[in-house]
Amino acid sequence: MTAISVSNLQKTFQTKRKAAGLGGSVRALFQPEYATVEAVRGLSFEMEQGELLGFIGPNGAGKSTTIKILTGILHPNGGQASVLGFTPWKERQKLAFQIGTVFGQRPQLWYHLPAIDTFTLFGKIYELDDAFTKKRIAFLTEAFEIGDLLETPVRKLSLGQRMRCEVAASLLHKPKLLLLDEPSIGLDVVAKQHIRDAIRTMSAEEGVGVLLTSHDASDLEALCHRVIIVNHGQIVYQDKVSNLKRKFLTRKLVEVRYAEEVAKNFALEGMETLKTGRYGVKLTFDTRQTPADAVLSRLSSAGTLVDITISDPPLEEVIAMIYEQAREEK
Amino acid sequence: MSSIKFILAIWKTNLQAAMEYRASFLTQTIGMMLNNTMYFIIWVVFFDRFKDVRGWGLSDMYVTFGVSASAFGLVALFFGNAFNLGDIITKGRLDYYLSLPRPVLMHALASRSVSSGMGDFLYGILSFIASGIFTWDAMLRFSLATLSGAVVFASFLIIVQSLAFWIGNSSNLSGLATNAMITFAIYPITIFDNSAKIILFTIIPAALMGAVPASFARAFTWQTLAQLLLGASLLLIIAVNIFHTGLKLYESGSAIQTEI
Repeated sequence: MTAISVSNLQKTFQTKRKAAGLGGSVRALFQPEYATVEAVRGLSFEMEQGELLGFIGPNGAGKSTTIKILTGILHPNGGQASVLGFTPWKERQKLAFQIGTVFGQRPQLWYHLPAIDTFTLFGKIYELDDAFTKKRIAFLTEAFEIGDLLETPVRKLSLGQRMRCEVAASLLHKPKLLLLDEPSIGLDVVAKQHIRDAIRTMSAEEGVGVLLTSHDASDLEALCHRVIIVNHGQIVYQDKVSNLKRKFLTRKLVEVRYAEEVAKNFALEGMETLKTGRYGVKLTFDTRQTPADAVLSRLSSAGTLVDITISDPPLEEVIAMIYEQAREEK
Repeated sequence: MSSIKFILAIWKTNLQAAMEYRASFLTQTIGMMLNNTMYFIIWVVFFDRFKDVRGWGLSDMYVTFGVSASAFGLVALFFGNAFNLGDIITKGRLDYYLSLPRPVLMHALASRSVSSGMGDFLYGILSFIASGIFTWDAMLRFSLATLSGAVVFASFLIIVQSLAFWIGNSSNLSGLATNAMITFAIYPITIFDNSAKIILFTIIPAALMGAVPASFARAFTWQTLAQLLLGASLLLIIAVNIFHTGLKLYESGSAIQTEI
């Protein structure tokens, strides 16, 4: 069943332009100039119910604008969109009962109050029965491990703690779909991991679909089944994360440790040496040119192997490559 | 019914937030009452010297100031975001209200309570009692007049602040308009000629926040009741429509926000 269907979606903004300095400001006062910025340019995609879809792209790619159109916050200039059967900008209130939203840069918890008070208020906003609200808060408290945080004023929580409470609050009314806009922005590795674990658990237990925007490729790797990569308001790539890796992760990284010292000018045919240590070496090879078994036999013939690790390069590099390709195709 | 529960829940949360800073709440309330007292002393001195201005005396001033201050206080206490709606619009902070399943305007306005509003509200009641016309009937009329004045004032703020949808940063303009509204609301209406009165019933509807509600509080007439109810309803309808027309132009924003 389709949760989100978007066809030829477009959104433009008018931005005022002015030359630098006081002179520019005075000129702009009498002769204002406007530029049209195309934030979303003919975007089309679909998302299934219960799917974990990553919407990834650099700053200014149109990710947040798209998610704001899909939640009914912004009106598009063209195209169609249906979210859980609703047209977001026409049926915003009905849709809001069915979805949860988190904007990483815009907190929804009341700053001066403990999170529990916002949870209770959200119970009223979503017209939940008091008994259900209590039960749900207890469940989310366990799922997000926020028992110790609920009664502390939000202003005294760390960013990571606050984000856990934010995501938990967005799930209070048991939404069918969760729209997360940069939920991991500014978080450290441990806090990111906490949030990702909780989202994964909720998705598995309650079948809630997740549309996640991020400019951090590790969010995508950790959470999503499928990815849409956008740049300049257009889709430059969409496929399963596993396919993305298969197609683009043709280069492997190898780290080897030998029992004896490694030669300073260590080099093997078909491999590029990145770093040489006393007993270890870091190399890279292209699987299309050098098969992995050939690499392994060459490495073992070079000395007594103590340890070996073969890994993919970070997804960031892959995405940078896709952006580069899209730019060249233009 | 669910809308009433929702608005009560918001006000309760506002009160909880105010209680987090109890000392600030009390000092702002008392401070505003003192501030109003200091301001009103000028009128006491003035009317001591001139007795009346075209039939307008100190007692009228007490009632007009009372109804205006209480109306102002109600808006500040219960719909505190009416004062910075323009800022909310230009900084893209309507996103929060738009992502929740409630009427965006009502939700946005009610989500902030200005503590000093309590001082204005209480001072207004004291001013009315000091006017010398207090009876329980008059108190009932004063209450209705205050509610109507509050609707007029909130509607005016919504209209002025909604200009931000079209002109961007409108904080200076809305600040000027709000000051004009408050100033003219507490001036004796008798000092204005007919053309000025037209302005005070239309562009800056200060008469519907001060003189007309005060007149109703002093004595019941069907004419002033009709003026109050029609004026307040009409302004509210215009305000809500202007806000929703502007909302279609809302552009959100990417400013990082750290608190609500």
